[in-house]
Amino acid sequence: MLIVKLAWRNLFRNTRRTLLTVMLVSFSLVSLILTDGMVKGMQEKLVGSVTQTLTGEAQIHKKGFWEELDEKKFIDDPAPIINEILLNEDIQTFAPRVIVGGMIASPYNITGGLIYGVDADRELGISKLKKAIIEGAYLSGSPREILIGKSMSDILEVSPGDRIVISAAEVENGEISQELFRVSGIFEFGLAELDNSLGFINLKVAQSLIGLDKGIHQIVVRFNNPENALDLDNSFYQDSNKGDIEALSWIDYNPSIASLIGMSNYATVIIGVTLFLVATFGVINSLFMSIYERLYELGVAKAIGTSGPELMSLVILEAVLLGIISCILGCVLGYFANSWFAIHGIPFGTYDFSGVILQGIHTKVALEQVTLLPLCVIILVLLSAIYPAIFAARIMPVESMRRSL
Amino acid sequence: MNYVIETQHVHRFFGEGEVRVSALNDVSIRIERGEFSAIIGPSGSGKTTFLQLVGGLDNPTSGRIWLSGANIAEMTGRELSDFRRDHIGFIFQSYNLIPVLSAEENIEYVMLLQGVSVNKRHKRVREVLSLVGLEGLGDRRPAQLSGGQQQRVAVARAMASSPDIILADEPTANLDSATGAALLDVMRELNEDQGMTFVFSTHDQKIMDRANRLIHLHDGKVEQDETK
Repeated sequence: MLIVKLAWRNLFRNTRRTLLTVMLVSFSLVSLILTDGMVKGMQEKLVGSVTQTLTGEAQIHKKGFWEELDEKKFIDDPAPIINEILLNEDIQTFAPRVIVGGMIASPYNITGGLIYGVDADRELGISKLKKAIIEGAYLSGSPREILIGKSMSDILEVSPGDRIVISAAEVENGEISQELFRVSGIFEFGLAELDNSLGFINLKVAQSLIGLDKGIHQIVVRFNNPENALDLDNSFYQDSNKGDIEALSWIDYNPSIASLIGMSNYATVIIGVTLFLVATFGVINSLFMSIYERLYELGVAKAIGTSGPELMSLVILEAVLLGIISCILGCVLGYFANSWFAIHGIPFGTYDFSGVILQGIHTKVALEQVTLLPLCVIILVLLSAIYPAIFAARIMPVESMRRSL
Repeated sequence: MNYVIETQHVHRFFGEGEVRVSALNDVSIRIERGEFSAIIGPSGSGKTTFLQLVGGLDNPTSGRIWLSGANIAEMTGRELSDFRRDHIGFIFQSYNLIPVLSAEENIEYVMLLQGVSVNKRHKRVREVLSLVGLEGLGDRRPAQLSGGQQQRVAVARAMASSPDIILADEPTANLDSATGAALLDVMRELNEDQGMTFVFSTHDQKIMDRANRLIHLHDGKVEQDETK
């Protein structure tokens, strides 16, 4: 206990220097907590934007469909798969879809696009389609209604109530089939590629358009816990991946987003290492200054019987106490700053991130920010104390006490 | 004979070649348990070097040194550190107390290193504070004590672990005459009552008057060894 008392009091011999070092370490921790919160917030928003807008957290297809959107690769009898999904407690909801490429023509213009045949009710639990409607109304089940994106409506120069014709190839014989629709609503997801090229019609109409009976191309699912989507050992993937049916997680069909997340994690590590290196050199400098100031006294301590390892322990203990004070301050400041930005957001304006439109960033508060990161700081401070501690342990009493004995 | 310190043909040189300086030259001294001895001589005569060597803080260039029967040349750094802790008490000219610890804690420190239990440490601290006449001042830090009081704490620290020998380097040099005399009386009492061995390095006539043995060093050699 006396050694702890000695280390604690030694720390405050030069209060100004100790406070400056504490501020250096704690502000580095605050910066890292905020960086981590910002990156996690951005990732969450990015993933949320990707999975909640349209594609869901996981999808089931016939093998080979997703790579080329080959309409001929459809699930001809989805009932057994849907039954298994209904029995899986990890799955919150699902929605079947037909996806067909075709030409969309208005009296004024023509454009290519993807037509999604959707179950209007089930789609509500999967995508933001209804929320994205900016003009007109959502699908009601009427056979001639279609929802198109804002950009597509500008190209086709149509508005709700106007007529458009969709031409698509039938899956069995490739013959062109045409249907007349009336624009019931215009949506805007904020994702250029979606607003430009997608149209939504009712599932049965889509099946009829390309000659599918009960067949569908895709089943999109949402998990009760979104993290399960990345757990390929989850029973959903185990049950669904069989025969010519494949189940993919969102990371499989959004590889660019996965790369971005990986890259942003590296960025956090690089920022963390840089900040911690700066703090480490600050701690080493502070400890050396403290040792040089006490060189004579440490020589005396050694003369009266303090061993090298005991002096080493004293210096390391001082560093650990310095680290603990810094971590407490850093965690408190970092937590409150992170919480404030989590609520109020960081106003970065609107920007396009890999095709996803983001508006500002709300940081994310996570437990590891006040457990794992401070632990890293303590370990780093501990490591940075080793060199000064070895120096202190090697002090020769007779050299450092030349002034007297 | 039971010698606390025994040196045989000790030489200590500093530097090499033309700049080589002989600090101690063929010094053979035996100090018995319970002595109150003073190493005296002009500046540069080798007094401090002698205390450094017999305190295990430095190694002789040649010759042998036994402390309480142990040859210190055969000890490792850790063994020497432990030996200093358990067998030697140091008193320095400028007190050299740890400024952030109270008088009690300074005295307790060496016993802590020895692994003495808390209760025994506190009991011993009270005893030695009483012996050096500092009852009631144990909770003060060095900066709150006068020079004489600080040197009394240093004496208490040196004797707290009951060492075989106390080495004192100019202990009265920074004290006024009356305070220095009072401190010497305390050390003489400890020597007479507890049988503690003291070896001083000094110019102070008061110490020379109280010492029962004076070892005169000149240019690193023992010039005279007189027992009163």
